[in-house]
Amino acid sequence: MDNRGRRRVWLVVAAMLFVVAAVLMFTGQGEAPAMETPKVEFPRRMRAPERARAERRRTQVLPVQVDAGTQERARPRDPVLAALPRGEGKTAVVIEANALRHSPIGELLLDCLMRDGGKRLEELRNLSGVDPLQDLDRLVITDDGMMLSGNFGNAKFKELLGERVSMDYGEGARVYEPGDMTVTRPDGSTARRRSEAAVATWNNELLVIGKSPDEVKAVVDRVEGRGPDEPPAISEGSTYGEMYGVLSVDQLARLLPKEQAELAERIRQVAQNVELHVDASGDVAMVAEVRGANGDEVTDLGKTLGAALSMARIKAQAEGEKDLAQLLDFARVQPDGTSFKLEMAVPLDVIQKRLAFCKEERSAAEAAER
Amino acid sequence: MKPVLGIAGYVLREAMSRKFILAFMVGITLVLTVVALSLRIEVVDGALAASRLFGEELRNSIRSVDVALRPVYQAAAFLVFYGGILFGIVACSDFAPSLMSPGRIEHLLALPIQRWHLLAGTFLGVMVLALGGTLYGTTGLVLIFGVKAGYWTAGPLIAGLLACVGFAAVYAVMLTAATLVRSAALCAASGFVFLVGGIIAGYRQQLTPFFEEGLGREAFRAVTLVLPRLSALAMAAGDIAASTPLEVHSLGMLLLGVLVFGFGALAVGFWRFEGKDY
Repeated sequence: MDNRGRRRVWLVVAAMLFVVAAVLMFTGQGEAPAMETPKVEFPRRMRAPERARAERRRTQVLPVQVDAGTQERARPRDPVLAALPRGEGKTAVVIEANALRHSPIGELLLDCLMRDGGKRLEELRNLSGVDPLQDLDRLVITDDGMMLSGNFGNAKFKELLGERVSMDYGEGARVYEPGDMTVTRPDGSTARRRSEAAVATWNNELLVIGKSPDEVKAVVDRVEGRGPDEPPAISEGSTYGEMYGVLSVDQLARLLPKEQAELAERIRQVAQNVELHVDASGDVAMVAEVRGANGDEVTDLGKTLGAALSMARIKAQAEGEKDLAQLLDFARVQPDGTSFKLEMAVPLDVIQKRLAFCKEERSAAEAAER
Repeated sequence: MKPVLGIAGYVLREAMSRKFILAFMVGITLVLTVVALSLRIEVVDGALAASRLFGEELRNSIRSVDVALRPVYQAAAFLVFYGGILFGIVACSDFAPSLMSPGRIEHLLALPIQRWHLLAGTFLGVMVLALGGTLYGTTGLVLIFGVKAGYWTAGPLIAGLLACVGFAAVYAVMLTAATLVRSAALCAASGFVFLVGGIIAGYRQQLTPFFEEGLGREAFRAVTLVLPRLSALAMAAGDIAASTPLEVHSLGMLLLGVLVFGFGALAVGFWRFEGKDY
């Protein structure tokens, strides 16, 4: 082959290679938009909607304090926060029931709640006059009991609790002592039940359930400004996320499984206070801030927790549990002197997969009803 | 094949005689040594519990060591990819022009070898050089973090090899440019242009909407269809180094495409070199 012929071959080869390269690169990279890597937003501080929500909830104005001839106007406050226990080492966890209900995870949980086609929910509505999906705003769990806040204007408390010994208390509360109550069944028959819990209602806004009348009265006292002068367990600045609050170290240790008994004991020894925030507006993300007195011991506890999470992730990877390994990818411990933040997340699609059966059962029950 | 290897050896000897390439190797060694001596990593049950650099505690969160090292490996992959190509462009820009310089080219053409052997040998020699440097740096990094953190991964090594394929495409263009104009500066400039073009080509899908519909957009799509998608390869290198899922559809095809582009550019060089009078 002469030089000209050889050159022509190189040119043809070059052109062919460029075409092949273009096809390979086009196919290799793909024209579909790149998959977004999962990103989870952790509840680390109060965001603007939560600030606005907190402001809207400052509805209670205490009577004007008269002191040495001067009249100081009291700032309006959130009655639920005012009702919370006071002092260190107390447990108070607030679940934003209404916000949770309207979140993606809330929709999934609702499917689970209505697996029977919504019969039990309807029963509860008829019995109590309260629609948990509409009227309930917040649910608070404390060491001594629980509180529900919302619009209880249509509630049938008197019909439900009318047989119990009750009394008016304070300015807007009614306290019901433990006792019997008559419950009407769906078929119209009635049954008598004994309840050991004391109940208090306040201004059709709060329903307090406690172990004794004194306990629920103490809650009403705090709401109406007669309680101790200490700040409530949760400050207004910490009311962010769909679930938030403080856990006593003892409660936290009790939540751990038996296999983690050693870790539970360490938490009891080192930690003083645990603040918790869970965001469920998209993926479920949790931030727990653990505080203690000794910086070194707290850091060591953080390392132990970090190692436990890392081991769990390695185990999940080894056992082929991709979902669990993926959610533990987000787990981390951020030490900061005498405290550390533990962050964990569960991607929404993982929960959707796990709770898919609820939706199926609900649809089946509703179809059967029709 | 023997003549090609002979020319490659000649290029390597030439490279070793250049002080700044030796300085580069010493530089990599120094960086690796400093990192090895100054970095202290405390790993507890697979979690990166604490790290110190030059005795100063780094404010890291405690998390699984592979998750914690992801950004480090990803950054290293990008550094090796783009830094390596940039250094390669600068360091290797005058190999081909000097090989084709008057006096030298006549001597080489007098050898009993075909003309394309000269270019292929130069290409091979430079690629061996790039491969050696990349493997040296990335192996050092893998060893340091492997020993210190107990986390062993071949990710950075594979990322380095991807960078070499990217450089192969760029250097093939530089070599072809040298057959057109015997200038180290223009040779390097062509390398830069294709590096930038390759970065743009990797983001062609995201950039296309910025062009008005019509001729402009179609021209952009046509040009970037052929250019080597270097940024896509760099992203894949970063993903592999960090052990995260790949964003590209098929890495093998992308890699092969970039390599075939390099061979295509080289074939253009052969075509030009075969017909040139010296």
